[in-house]
Amino acid sequence: MFRRALAGAKYVLGLQRPGRNLAVFPDDVFILSYPKSGNTWTRFLVAHLVHPQESPSFANINRLIPDPEALSKRELHRLPRPRYIKSHQYFDPRYRKIVYVVRDPRDVALSQYHFHRKRRLVPDGDSVENFVVRFVAGSTSPYGSWGENVAGWLATRYGHPGFLLLRYEDMIAGTTRELAKVAQFLGIEADREWLQECADRCSAAEMRKLEHLQAHLWSSTKDTRQDVPFIREAKPGGWKSGLTQASVVHIEHAWGHLMQFLGYELTTDEAGRTGSDFLEAVLVGREQ
Amino acid sequence: MIYGVRRVVKYILRKDIASRDFPVYPDDAFIVSYPRSGNTWTRFLVANLLHPDEHVTFANIERLVPDSEAQSARYLKAIPRPRAIKSHQYFDPRYKKVIYIVRDPRDVALSYYDFQRKYRHIEDGYPLSRSVNDFVTGNLSSWDWGTWGENVGSWIATRYRQAGFLLLRYEDILADTEREITRIAAFLDIPTSPQLLANTIERSSAKRLRSLERAQGDKWVSTKNKRSDIPFIRSASSGGWKNNLPPESVAAIEAEWGHLMTRLGYELASERAMAVSSGRAASNFSALHLSLREDPPA
Repeated sequence: MFRRALAGAKYVLGLQRPGRNLAVFPDDVFILSYPKSGNTWTRFLVAHLVHPQESPSFANINRLIPDPEALSKRELHRLPRPRYIKSHQYFDPRYRKIVYVVRDPRDVALSQYHFHRKRRLVPDGDSVENFVVRFVAGSTSPYGSWGENVAGWLATRYGHPGFLLLRYEDMIAGTTRELAKVAQFLGIEADREWLQECADRCSAAEMRKLEHLQAHLWSSTKDTRQDVPFIREAKPGGWKSGLTQASVVHIEHAWGHLMQFLGYELTTDEAGRTGSDFLEAVLVGREQ
Repeated sequence: MIYGVRRVVKYILRKDIASRDFPVYPDDAFIVSYPRSGNTWTRFLVANLLHPDEHVTFANIERLVPDSEAQSARYLKAIPRPRAIKSHQYFDPRYKKVIYIVRDPRDVALSYYDFQRKYRHIEDGYPLSRSVNDFVTGNLSSWDWGTWGENVGSWIATRYRQAGFLLLRYEDILADTEREITRIAAFLDIPTSPQLLANTIERSSAKRLRSLERAQGDKWVSTKNKRSDIPFIRSASSGGWKNNLPPESVAAIEAEWGHLMTRLGYELASERAMAVSSGRAASNFSALHLSLREDPPA
């Protein structure tokens, strides 16, 4: 009862962090992805595009590209509009303009394993293989499983004008090219030099420098293990050496159809796949 | 800054409408569908399967299979487990056991028109084609459950063929109620007998629900204070759109969701949508079309 009263007081004063209960405005823009899929990088890139006069860092990123899990309802309500909001949420019909970043789930699994070590959710001795089983079942995240998150958004929004799908791997291979798509999607004028400048300022090396200086200032890294970095390799394909064969097979069996649709090369064939192929049949032919 | 006092008190006591904001238990079963897709009928079927000794009516359905969009979190918490809960929500990863009912969106649109008039969301003179347009573009005045395509797509794309997900078509339940409720019973681990199946069908029939609505419509949370000259339980049939929807409305629905409808086995009628859809079917993945009858792997 006391807890409810406290929650009630927070509710009245707008001090609760809304998370999924965010009050959405029709002009909100969302930077969306499953966790560990390049969201922070994209967030910094967009922060540079939208706020060219600021210098985005871990100290001000929560203000520039707010996170409804980190800011209060009151703070979120007072931000200038249009708001550019960072999110990991699974499908929500109220989100009308979305940059969605997708990443090879084999790399996402590995990255989340290390992130959970950093957050002391996984003890050091715990195997990646055990983690991957929980990852596939969707029990390592409040945002659904990787497949649920990605499929939920693609099934409802792929090919719609308010939805821009980016692959993390394409962003690594051609950062300015992908960033130009983002600028166009957001209606922001940006010439080649400025796009290059944004990409340089958000390089993994620069981000690592910032993390080193400011990890204690940022909601996502303070009070976590400082010996495990938040900005990791920033490279695709780490799963090839970091995951066991069994884990790779487990992931591909669960989401093979979806991975194939997204252009991720598989090591297994169709036999043994248990995941939904429904999405693929629905999406093929819809123009992006 | 200060919200309504009533609202705050309700919030503190958890007496505000639960919607998505209530604790979900791993043994909860959900009956989910877009509105106007046979959810109430299925709810009665499930209630009668689970409680053969009760006289299931609109007076006790909220206790037997509570409605998360009409009841509070506190109310839901008091329901004995395992709970069977009715919902219209789009995909929610916390729902681990889901019976999802899908219905031809052309019939859903037609039913929604009457429903909106019953709820006084629109006047009698509101053009049907405009209502269908609202339906397709997601501009309905009732709560936000996403569009039909978003609701259906979000569930099927994430859960189809998974354990813990049973996909039913309203049209199949109409065509062979016994077969479909046998699937429901198996899904919910309810032992059946011919007697139970027959009783369940009879006690949930459109005729019986209509007479219950006449007697109890002014008491049930979903129908009280609504227009009583428009019934909540309508024709309980399929294909009404063929005679009652204007061709441009049919075309609008099929243009938006033709691919999804085809995949669900709903034949398209408008030529433009058919051309688009056959182009899609000609893609490499047409071989993947599976029968909807296929059950999820054990």
